[in-house]
Amino acid sequence: MSRHGSLRTYVLTRLALAIPTVLILLTMVFLLMRVAPGNPIQAALGGHVSQEEIERRSAAAGYDKPIIDQYVEYLGDVFTGNLGTTLTDHRTVVSIVVENGSATLELTIAAILVALVVGLSIGILAGRFRDTPIDLAGRLFGIVVYAAPVFFVGFLLQLLFGSTLHWLPTSGRVGPVTEFELDTTTHLYLIDSLISGNWSAFWDTVTHLILPAVTLGLLVSGVLIRLVRVNLMQTMRGDYVEAARARGIRERRVVMEHAFRNALIPVVTVAGLQFAILLGGAILTEQTFNWPGIGSELVRYLNERDYIAVQGIITVFALAVVVVSLLIDLVNAFIDPRVRY
Amino acid sequence: MSLVRRLGTAAALAAALAVAAVGCGGGGEEGGTIIRGTTDQPVSYDPAGAYDLPSYDVIYNVYQNLLTIPPGDNKPVPEAAESCDFTNPTTYECTMKDGLKFSDGDDLTAEDVKFSFDRNVEIADPNGASSLLANMKSVDAPDDKTVVFHLKKPDATWPFVLTVASFAIVDSTDFPKDKLQPSDEVIGSGRYTVASYKPGQQTVLEKNTSYTGSDPAENDRAIVQYYDKPSALKLDVENGEVDIAYRSLSPTDIESLRDADGVSVVEGNGTEIRYLVFNLKLQEGTSDAQKLAIRQAVAQTVDRAAIAKNVYDGTVDPLYSMVPQGLQFATKAFADKYGESPDVNAAKKTLADAGVKTPVPLEIWWTPSHYGPASGDEYAEIKTQLDDSGLFTVTLKSTEWTQYSEAAFTNKYPQYQLGWFPDYPDANDYTAPFYAKDSFLNISYDNPEMNRLLEQEAATSNESKRAALFKKIQDIGAEDVPTVPIWQGKQVAAVRDGVNGVEDTFDPSFIFRYWLITKD
Repeated sequence: MSRHGSLRTYVLTRLALAIPTVLILLTMVFLLMRVAPGNPIQAALGGHVSQEEIERRSAAAGYDKPIIDQYVEYLGDVFTGNLGTTLTDHRTVVSIVVENGSATLELTIAAILVALVVGLSIGILAGRFRDTPIDLAGRLFGIVVYAAPVFFVGFLLQLLFGSTLHWLPTSGRVGPVTEFELDTTTHLYLIDSLISGNWSAFWDTVTHLILPAVTLGLLVSGVLIRLVRVNLMQTMRGDYVEAARARGIRERRVVMEHAFRNALIPVVTVAGLQFAILLGGAILTEQTFNWPGIGSELVRYLNERDYIAVQGIITVFALAVVVVSLLIDLVNAFIDPRVRY
Repeated sequence: MSLVRRLGTAAALAAALAVAAVGCGGGGEEGGTIIRGTTDQPVSYDPAGAYDLPSYDVIYNVYQNLLTIPPGDNKPVPEAAESCDFTNPTTYECTMKDGLKFSDGDDLTAEDVKFSFDRNVEIADPNGASSLLANMKSVDAPDDKTVVFHLKKPDATWPFVLTVASFAIVDSTDFPKDKLQPSDEVIGSGRYTVASYKPGQQTVLEKNTSYTGSDPAENDRAIVQYYDKPSALKLDVENGEVDIAYRSLSPTDIESLRDADGVSVVEGNGTEIRYLVFNLKLQEGTSDAQKLAIRQAVAQTVDRAAIAKNVYDGTVDPLYSMVPQGLQFATKAFADKYGESPDVNAAKKTLADAGVKTPVPLEIWWTPSHYGPASGDEYAEIKTQLDDSGLFTVTLKSTEWTQYSEAAFTNKYPQYQLGWFPDYPDANDYTAPFYAKDSFLNISYDNPEMNRLLEQEAATSNESKRAALFKKIQDIGAEDVPTVPIWQGKQVAAVRDGVNGVEDTFDPSFIFRYWLITKD
């Protein structure tokens, strides 16, 4: 079979598999939300009006319809792109995905950049200077940042850089006044501030982004450090690397241009998967830094039993993870012909 | 340059960039802008869709009601109305003020008032307060200046009902009559307009230049910034990102902020209460007499002062009646009957006289996800007090709020924690909901004399009669003990130096009046 025919088959197969994956996930979410006791009215008004009144309002809102009717209605809405309006605060799910999803996207991109800078550099040093104090320090650093609870690291950074040194703000995407005054076209504040030429807002966004991005990025870097180190050590044992040395190429070029590039392939895969996972909302980081991301909103709507919001957000999560995973697999399949159906 | 040196240079450059970024940004607060941080999230700024304190916080500032509770007071006075009074026991008539305008320039007339009440009933939003209008038969606007409410039965609390934010006056030419207005498109006649609303992030109020009422806003803009965690709010008020941190900081955070540079902790009288409920059907005891004795013995044993001090660091006050201090007609019925301090010997005698074997097993439920981060400590303290008396053995159980609130009112929990904040600052709102035969508590409490007294107090606006009736109601409540009041919360805020007026808005009405606050 030709390379292109094989790749096409691979793509089509992966796309076909994505559909039942998403369907299973949506069904699980639907059932779990219906099985959990209570509904949005119970959550909001319980303890303040009679249970009879709550049940009357719940029935009026249609929460007592047969489960199968609700499921069919739910699937119909999903497949027609109608993710609905939240029950508790009357927001469209699309607006939540756009506004809060953009906040998460901005944080995720920044965190991945931090992770790549820290993870790649320390991983390369550890792999290059294997079994030396540099290697030991690098591995230890990777274990510590991976094992430390992310909210704990966040608190420490807030205390040090926020409360003690007063260098950086400790919560939010921007200051309150900037939040109001910034024109949000893309809802990515770094880009929006550049578009509008608002340098004050740009710096405000950068300073607010540093601590949460570093907190989250360090966690991800812990994964990348070990991966880069191990892969670099493997590729440096390769024949082509010996051949490069034999041709008199300097060691730095051997590591960076020969060994490291080949070690990067699995790193791209893992980094991409981490990116997809973080898009689901790094909830603990968002809550520690009061970052208005989609993960925090999901937790809030879960507590309020707003199943329209929860279903809609998780639908988008599922699709995002599937798409990103697929893209990563496609990139790998394109690069590495051994990955085919 | 070696690899190590290159990487080190890159890291140093990144750090330098970060440090250079410091101080260039930040909140950029202008003079005349007050920023308040809170963990409370609103539901809707359309009055017909709101029945929660966070929504009320904004609604009271954006709209006017016919009547309002002025700062520091606890009785209704006219706001959009010139005057209001009962013309007969079931007819309440208001005359509107002249020259009222909405923020978009439309005139505010009696027709807008009628529209506001009619749509509230028609929409009957699941999250709204239309159930408080159950006694309203109809509302008329015979002319531009007159509003007439026809009630089904006499109701002395009706003026208080008119002060509730859910019944604020909306613009009949802009609001739909059969559905809610989006929160960022609301229009009122109050001191502010909603300039921006980003759910979960912030609400921005700007001074309404068309406002014609008294006490216009003393600042140009108020920003309400929302937080998920009290800890983040605490850090931000310490760092000056917000001017005011109000609702809800933990007692530990408040204690820490008392020593923080540039921050003061201000307090005021509050009317939010916490209480313990007994389900008379499910509680321990083989007879009504034994059950009563157990409830009374618990009331005699609980040390409210210790809870206020040990758990809440003085941010709450002991509560000796379901009607909190600060409200008209409040007494200290539980203190009068059982004393302010616990009396284990008296409790022992109460149980012995009823033939109750001790220790009495008590299963007490509480919830960690609705009544604040100190709930667990509060009920651990209650358990310790009751267990240490030797008269009870307490088993504590908990579950998250939504499940809890359904189970509590459907006869699943024998004893459980509850809280209450007022619909309006009148003693009726702290007695009828708990003590009436058809109480939402659904605890099988039915005292005919109590029912009669509650009907009488609701039917009369004569203050001395109501005072006598409420005294008897509270005395019976202390005697029958279907509920044990534990504490009433103070209103507590952490305020940056130079911000004034916050304590002026702390009163039993729970209205947060941004318009009173100034910043040096």
